[in-house]
Amino acid sequence: MTEHSDESTGNNPRRNNSAEQWLFAEAGKIRGLLIGIVGLSSCIGLLVVFQARILATACQYVVIQGKGVSSVLPLAALLLLLAAGRSLLTSVLEINTAAAAAKVKQAVRSRLYRKIQALGPAGLSGDETGPLIETVTKGVDELEPYFTRFLPQLSLAAILPLMFLIVIVPSEWRSGLVLLFSAPFIPLFMILIGRGSEKLHRRQWGRLSRMAGHLLDLVQGLPDLIIFGAAKREATVVARVSDEYRIATMAVLRVAFLSAFTLEFFATVGTALVAVIIGFRLLFGDLSLGEGLFVLLMAPEFYLPLRNLGLSYHARMQGVAAAERIAPLLARPLPEGFAGTVPAPSGPPSILFEGVSFRYGGVRGGVTAVDLELPAGSITALAGESGAGKTTLARLLVGLTRPESGRILVNGHDLTTLAPDSWRSRLAWVPQAPYFTSGTVRENLLLGRPDADEDLINTALAAAAADQFISRLPHGLDTPLGDRGAGLSGGELRRLALARAYVCQATLVVLDEPTAGLDAESERLVCEALKRVARGRTVLVISHREQTLSSVERVAEMVDGRIGQVLLSAEFLSRCEVPV
Amino acid sequence: MNQLARFLIISRGQWFWMGAGIVLGVLVIFANTLLMAISGWFIASMAVSGSSGAAFNYFFPSASIRFLAIARTVGRYAERLVTHESTFRILSELRVWLFNRFEPLAPACLERYAGGDVTGRLRGDVDALETLYLKIIAPLAVGTLSLLAALVFLLWFSPPSAGVMLLFLLLAGVVLPLLVRRFSEEPGRRSALLAAELRTMVTEGLQGVEELILLGAVERQAAVVDGLSAEVIVEQERLGRINGLSLGGMAFFAGSGVAAVLLAGSMQVASHQIPPPNLVMLLLFSAAIFEAAGLLPSALHLLPAAQESVSRIFELADAPIPVPDNPVSSDLPADGALCFSNVSASYLPGMPVLDNFSLTIPAGGCVVLTGSSGIGKSLLVEILLRFRNYEGSVTVGGIEIRDLPKETLIGMIAAVPQRPHLFNGTIRENILLGSVSADEEQLQQVLKNSCLDQWIAALPLGLETMVGGNGSAVSGGEARRIALARALLKDAPILLLDEPTEGLDCATEREIVSRLNKWFRNGVATTVLVVSHRPACLQLGNSVIHL
Repeated sequence: MTEHSDESTGNNPRRNNSAEQWLFAEAGKIRGLLIGIVGLSSCIGLLVVFQARILATACQYVVIQGKGVSSVLPLAALLLLLAAGRSLLTSVLEINTAAAAAKVKQAVRSRLYRKIQALGPAGLSGDETGPLIETVTKGVDELEPYFTRFLPQLSLAAILPLMFLIVIVPSEWRSGLVLLFSAPFIPLFMILIGRGSEKLHRRQWGRLSRMAGHLLDLVQGLPDLIIFGAAKREATVVARVSDEYRIATMAVLRVAFLSAFTLEFFATVGTALVAVIIGFRLLFGDLSLGEGLFVLLMAPEFYLPLRNLGLSYHARMQGVAAAERIAPLLARPLPEGFAGTVPAPSGPPSILFEGVSFRYGGVRGGVTAVDLELPAGSITALAGESGAGKTTLARLLVGLTRPESGRILVNGHDLTTLAPDSWRSRLAWVPQAPYFTSGTVRENLLLGRPDADEDLINTALAAAAADQFISRLPHGLDTPLGDRGAGLSGGELRRLALARAYVCQATLVVLDEPTAGLDAESERLVCEALKRVARGRTVLVISHREQTLSSVERVAEMVDGRIGQVLLSAEFLSRCEVPV
Repeated sequence: MNQLARFLIISRGQWFWMGAGIVLGVLVIFANTLLMAISGWFIASMAVSGSSGAAFNYFFPSASIRFLAIARTVGRYAERLVTHESTFRILSELRVWLFNRFEPLAPACLERYAGGDVTGRLRGDVDALETLYLKIIAPLAVGTLSLLAALVFLLWFSPPSAGVMLLFLLLAGVVLPLLVRRFSEEPGRRSALLAAELRTMVTEGLQGVEELILLGAVERQAAVVDGLSAEVIVEQERLGRINGLSLGGMAFFAGSGVAAVLLAGSMQVASHQIPPPNLVMLLLFSAAIFEAAGLLPSALHLLPAAQESVSRIFELADAPIPVPDNPVSSDLPADGALCFSNVSASYLPGMPVLDNFSLTIPAGGCVVLTGSSGIGKSLLVEILLRFRNYEGSVTVGGIEIRDLPKETLIGMIAAVPQRPHLFNGTIRENILLGSVSADEEQLQQVLKNSCLDQWIAALPLGLETMVGGNGSAVSGGEARRIALARALLKDAPILLLDEPTEGLDCATEREIVSRLNKWFRNGVATTVLVVSHRPACLQLGNSVIHL
């Protein structure tokens, strides 16, 4: 397959800005820790000044004044002390930094995860799960360097050079002037070069992840490539795509590395100029070696914070990129229509759809002006082609999304006026691929009602015809389901989901394709279980399988988002004339 | 270390670039340290000459300073370009190597890798392999070589200084990193483990968010995620603290190293063993060389995790080929007749699925196999595709398939596997995989036969619609019909269909069955084997066999 590039993922200045504002606001919450980081770094800077001063003085003693080892011994001891102090402060600084990072990450992740869950499917329509998972896990981790590297370096780039300049000027004001005037060129050139390369750089990162995806896509599809004799051909595509990527990326990097080059260039030229000035003043005897050497030692230190700021640029980019995904999610308003307060009815409800529409913004799978009645205690099937809107209707009924127009009445109450928690406790929903945690069978069974007793569990398992296969599991109810469902077949997992719906003691049960992909025998077991579970409840089951349709009372057929006729099951099946 | 050697052998085509990057790295560090050393010696000599009035030739040192300043700046730029160039070159080489290695392993071995989490695991592992040179090998080589060179330099000018620096460089560059590695191993392993667990919980929670909401279990699950997140972060913070102690240790050794050189050098000056300006040179050189020592801890820090990823990949790449290709026959099968006799096979050793199965389909015949799930219907299809081993005999056109070159066999078969994969590209690209040389007319014909024509006509982008990663932008039924179209386009003598109508509604299913039937009966000499438990599909064959 060719690689499809999406060139529109460049940076958007406005989004970039608001992401950075959010980052600043978050930084405000750990202001104390950040100030501590900057303060400690400044103290380390002060120790660097002392270190340079002592070293320079020692050289003055030995080289110029010809003093013996005994005179530098106390200075060496002092250097050792300063090294210990610097080491201590550095450790404290890093520990402080780790604490700040931990605090931000924990707070943001917790808030973000709860927000995503609170938004729910109604608030998240259009978001794929994969990127959301990435954002909650890796995305939050990627915020760390912004707070722990970039922000402190930003303040230090302002504080330390100034501090160093103040101590340099009394010793050698000419060198001070050189430093003062060369310093502004560094950020200036970096910004000029950085601006141009940032956009390219970002696009390159996007391309990199797409290229990684390209290889994985091919590896996952290897059986298909083999079947069509395309594996050898694709191997050459892999080589070509990688080489094209290398050439394109190197073109970008040649420009991107220029900013680091400029920075080094000015720092080096500045230091060399200072060395020359000091050298000649020493030669003419205008300056002592102690003062001169001190200034020479301080010159690279003067540029260091600016260089570090340049190096932390990547940390900033990463943090902003993560914030661009996180901040809009946190700022997204919660979906409307979930603030009802009326308690849900306790018996099996009667449901009435009145002119319900939900169009997904015009894409396929919506429903239009649906009128449908589900009498209390009835069992109704929803049939129709894939994409006709069956699942959409079911999701509206359980209240995962709200109709764009029309309303759904539950015993005469509009669904939006019911208290969401109360309504949810009355219903059970078994989607096409039921959700199971990797915990034990029991944990999964009790997900909706952690307090259910053993009797209820046994009745539920028997009703769902799940007791036999569960007793065959190595640890019965306490067998962990694991990633792959502990080797349970599709039909067995469906029956487990049915048992869970039974445990909930819901009065409304909605099932989406409970028998898709099952063989006839498994389908029969599920259908019988369905009939037992349905007793005393209002049930809506989506299916187009004839055996399933024959075990319900009434069938409503959906065509293109609209409900046609509601027929008795036998009537519907005789019209469908599926060869059995 | 074995893995590193293996890595170097695989990427041997790029040794020139890798070596060049390392040489440049050493040169840059040397230019930098020499720049400081000569500057120090220069101003000390100027001061001595200024105070004593003796003449000093400052042309050579000032020219050296200028040269080194340029060498450092340009060298750094060149080093970054060359190391990245070699990283990307290694990357292309590795990708092709991996892909070629994985090909004979699919699907039997790949599905066992990392407990089935092929995508999640493989991405991270390949990343680790691809940055092995840039993040680990190059810094380790540059750091070690620079330190050795620095010791030689010091030994030349002042053996006592070389002695004390050897001690402090060993402490900073070897002992400290080893200690760090030892202490960070446990939290590193735990944090990786917990991060994977957190990822699983978040995945479960977000994929199951609808049911969690309806079951009223959202808050309970969020609390579990919070707890896991806190555990991960505790380990990450612990790693941060170890890193802090390591940086602190580095600062201490660097500072004390310079103090020790001050004492050693002063003694030599006092006893007139070295000229006084050399003391300044030694001091500045020693302070600067710790930059090279600083390269080692971060590289050693990353090493254990990278080794783990790399050995996982190599383990997979070295897995014995499940179904070897040992052709002994050069005859081409005469036709598409299929014959299974006394075939036994299994997915996992010791759990036989097929036992003494026999079936004959004449060339051009059309058979539907049916039976409950798990009985081995799909296994038969995979045996014919040489994805699985078998006992007994399976022949195509009278020739045993294990004697045929795989390429010849596969060339005769078109198939819709149980779980067809759609590649992240357009619908057209996915269908043309069946035959790159197909013309528009053939394409339209298979679209019609697989009931895709109306759906595609209604799409705004038509055949150019993207199917998304793993076919996420199309429904399951649409994906299956695309896979069917792709198989029909290949137009091979044998057609294998594993549940061709899964996920389709009954109207579309009936339509596909009738269109396929029309096509099969239209004088096409294709041998067709359909595997299905759907009643509608039974009409596809001229005979139905119940397993």
